[in-house]
Amino acid sequence: MSMSSGKARMLLVKDAMTHEVVVLPPQATAGEALALCRERRIRHLPVLEGGGLVGIVSDRDLRSATPALGDPARAEALGRIVVSEIMASDVTTARPEDPIEEAANAMREKKVGCLPVVEGDALVGIISSSDVMEALVYLMGAHEPGNRLEVVMPDRPGTLAGVAGIFGELGINIVSAVAGPRRDLPDSSEPGRVAVFRVDTMDLREAVEILERAGYAVLWPPKP
Amino acid sequence: MSGRAAVVHDLNLEAYGFGGDHPFNPLRIRLTLELCETLGLLQDYPFVVSEPATVEDLTTVHSLTYVRLVQKAGRGVGDLLDLMHYGLGTEDNPIFPDMHEACARVVGAVLQASRTVMRGETDHAMCISGGLHHAMRSRASGFCVYNDAGVAIARLKEEHPGIRVAYLDTDAHHGDGVQWMFYDNPEVLTVSMHESGRYLFPGTGGVEERGRDGGVGYSVNVPLEPYTDDSSWISCFEDVVPEVLRAFGPDLILSQNGCDGHALDPLTHLSATTRLYEHIPRRVHDLAHELCEGRWVATGGGGYDIWRVVPRAWTALWTAISHQDLPEKVPENWLAARCAQSPVALPRLMRDDSADYPVAERASVIAERNRRTTERVLEKVMPLIR
Repeated sequence: MSMSSGKARMLLVKDAMTHEVVVLPPQATAGEALALCRERRIRHLPVLEGGGLVGIVSDRDLRSATPALGDPARAEALGRIVVSEIMASDVTTARPEDPIEEAANAMREKKVGCLPVVEGDALVGIISSSDVMEALVYLMGAHEPGNRLEVVMPDRPGTLAGVAGIFGELGINIVSAVAGPRRDLPDSSEPGRVAVFRVDTMDLREAVEILERAGYAVLWPPKP
Repeated sequence: MSGRAAVVHDLNLEAYGFGGDHPFNPLRIRLTLELCETLGLLQDYPFVVSEPATVEDLTTVHSLTYVRLVQKAGRGVGDLLDLMHYGLGTEDNPIFPDMHEACARVVGAVLQASRTVMRGETDHAMCISGGLHHAMRSRASGFCVYNDAGVAIARLKEEHPGIRVAYLDTDAHHGDGVQWMFYDNPEVLTVSMHESGRYLFPGTGGVEERGRDGGVGYSVNVPLEPYTDDSSWISCFEDVVPEVLRAFGPDLILSQNGCDGHALDPLTHLSATTRLYEHIPRRVHDLAHELCEGRWVATGGGGYDIWRVVPRAWTALWTAISHQDLPEKVPENWLAARCAQSPVALPRLMRDDSADYPVAERASVIAERNRRTTERVLEKVMPLIR
């Protein structure tokens, strides 16, 4: 397997995060915050006081806390309401050295769209779900030429090596490999894992034939 | 009467191939030209001979480091691990002696075809050795070492500043190499129709790939469902290609005519027949006359059923280019000369019989999905092309 230069750095939060963070003081008004979201095309603003992170506010929080567009009370509210009144102060954060899958899991569990990244007390970046998506695209090699292959593997040591060995013998380069548990297991089959490979070849015929002969079920590409 | 035609070819071009039982076999070029010859379709068309592309030609789209590496690899020099980093020495792109020279000749031939057309020496030119659309700037990919269309377009744009080139790719695989080379260029429109990347190499070519920066809207992708048949493919072609080409207004059309979308092709999952490969070039011909005074360069491309499909499909291509009728029968002499060598029974007719390719049960579902795809394509790119 070859690792394209620099792609390995997509594995940690510090490599996928945005470094330049747009922040607000707690006393900023809702109007100022919304304008900032619009101008910078962002959805989340960390709130800093004395250099420390005290909260986070999203464009959605701002919209639901203020009267709708067209409401005569809107202008007054936008100038009156301050960010500290509506921000979430219990903020889930990530650290720069966290693996991205950990950040992804935290976002999923807390149902948030981004995590401020802190080192000690200092805010050093922000990672959003779209940053995680981009890292995933790189990890899966989806931007590189390849053929997608999904293989069921018995859940025991050595099976991934077995599949990789078959590619190796055929001189087929693996662009990426991801293996995970199988969800919808047909009754008859033994427990296994599904591995998704992207392999750099136009011609999968021989590989599929050898894999199937060796007892691996090939789920993708589908057969007619 | 519409236009004059030329074939750019010489025997040296048939040195581009990977040997053994590799699917990309130059025998398909030989079989095609022999079939055209036997049918009398080449009588008034002597082959135009070309020079190999120079390193300067190649580096219009490839890195010098890569070109040097290919040169060395062809002389048996170079570290295999290093070469593999550039896509060379893999199962798809094995190293073969003098590979640089062989590949540079193919590029030179397509460049010659393009210049001949651009200078007005002929209206249309064909080079079926060309069509190596997967080659990247610094990487061999999918049987392609150097990108002939990429070099030809880049050179033409240097020699005729401001010209607009439409690249039309109907190979079953996405024309990724050419697309990425001109991804930010609004003067080069790339249109690729191919089997969806979810099912087939190289995996790219989704509708949302539309170009970058100033070139947004000038990369057009029509990913087709597996098992797409002639009628759905032709409707998609008719829905998208004339409209985007008319909006763009090319000065030259360069078409990549891979015929690996045929139902018999071993590497893909599409269900076309010779009907598609007769339809496409005739329409491209008409569009070339309508939009750019006939200036049209046609290359080959993929096509891995080299006995039953490629010779007939590319003979149909040549008849469209040279304004000749497609004969009905495969000539007896050609069959007699080649049938002993063919591992499969050879067809007797130049056109597939539709009775041999019954409409699939899911055909209407597939056609409906493809129709929705073309709608999305037009929605996304038409407002941007000018």
